[in-house]
Amino acid sequence: MLANPEIKRLVVATALRGQGSAEAFEALYRMCAPFLLGIARRMVGRRELAEEIVHDSFVRIWQSAGSFDPTSVQPLAWMVTIVRNRAIDVLESHDVSRVDALDPDAPGDALDALFDWAPDPEQGLDVERRARLLRDCLATLQAAERQSLVLAYAHGMSHRDLATHLRKPLGTVKTWIRRGLVNLRDCVERCMEGAR
Amino acid sequence: MRLANDRRLDALCGEYLLGTLRGPARRRFGRALREEPQVALRLRHWERMFSPRYSEMIGIQPSRSLWRRLVRELELSRYRPRWYRRLGFWRAWALAATAALVVGIAAELVLPALRTAELVEVARLESADKLEVLHAELSKDRRTLRLRTVRPVIAGPTQSYELWLLPAEGGAPVSLAVLGALDAHIALPAGLAERLRPGAKLAVSVEPAGGSPTGAPTGPVILVGEVTS
Repeated sequence: MLANPEIKRLVVATALRGQGSAEAFEALYRMCAPFLLGIARRMVGRRELAEEIVHDSFVRIWQSAGSFDPTSVQPLAWMVTIVRNRAIDVLESHDVSRVDALDPDAPGDALDALFDWAPDPEQGLDVERRARLLRDCLATLQAAERQSLVLAYAHGMSHRDLATHLRKPLGTVKTWIRRGLVNLRDCVERCMEGAR
Repeated sequence: MRLANDRRLDALCGEYLLGTLRGPARRRFGRALREEPQVALRLRHWERMFSPRYSEMIGIQPSRSLWRRLVRELELSRYRPRWYRRLGFWRAWALAATAALVVGIAAELVLPALRTAELVEVARLESADKLEVLHAELSKDRRTLRLRTVRPVIAGPTQSYELWLLPAEGGAPVSLAVLGALDAHIALPAGLAERLRPGAKLAVSVEPAGGSPTGAPTGPVILVGEVTS
């Protein structure tokens, strides 16, 4: 289980640049690298590229641990963002054939295979409620919109990849994404308002 | 045009987060994110809405060479405890030292431990998670402040630590010292010892090498504690 308080402690110890920093950084790597590699592999589809992404991300984590602000973002989410952004850079610079590399065991709507919707006691009520809200709101979207959002997010698909994969015109796919995002935002905001 | 005022801001945030914003548009958004606080704020809102938690089941083991490469490239050995701080060395040393200690104890019994008695703890600084602790002790003559950590903490080559006094009466933090390591003896400037009184606080921030360029803390505050006596 990846526990945020422990990860935070390790990030702070890494940032101190003392004699315990390498040890803390190694513990952070041992704890999180497999998870982050899993995310990168899903996004780029190729293991060797995913390892490059995790390498670059940990260089970044080492370098920017000092400016990590634990009051505004959870440390695991911070690392996931670093990995995701690096993966998107790599997807752009390499001509990765996304479509063929899709996992056969995660067809189509991969919501439950990839994401964990179970309540997480450590996260606090607010985060837990938001996760449930997101799950419910995703369920209200049209299937095509939902599928496009999940494929783009989890498998790093561009508009063009999606058009090829779903065998639809580029314009249609762009509309699904745009409409899916707007509908999702409206649903989440409405429910948050309603809960106040 | 500034992105913060762009009516497409929401669509851009969503597609940036999703990863479908690519090429020059993504780079432009990344720039705006650094330069325009409103854009960063809006993206934060989106992140709060759209942040599915990846299942931990998707993890896969990285190859062993990956960690070795990081160790080499980041020169991590510089941030490991020195040989004389490792446990194995101390175990061997302990055996040899026991004999010497027996002799030493006799002297200790005769001579009161003057040096430690001369220092009084005035503050205990802690990190936000309470795992790092720094003891600040003042000499009886109130001229020297000693900082003591449980384990050595040394600033990286491009950083310094800076110790600040946050006065009891409020007002701007006063810099007490720029430090390369948190274990230190600091000669207190005249007049400052009196301001080390209950209500005041001590804090340590991470600054560029040589200390804060502005005279006020610029980096993250890593340790803070109340002055107790």
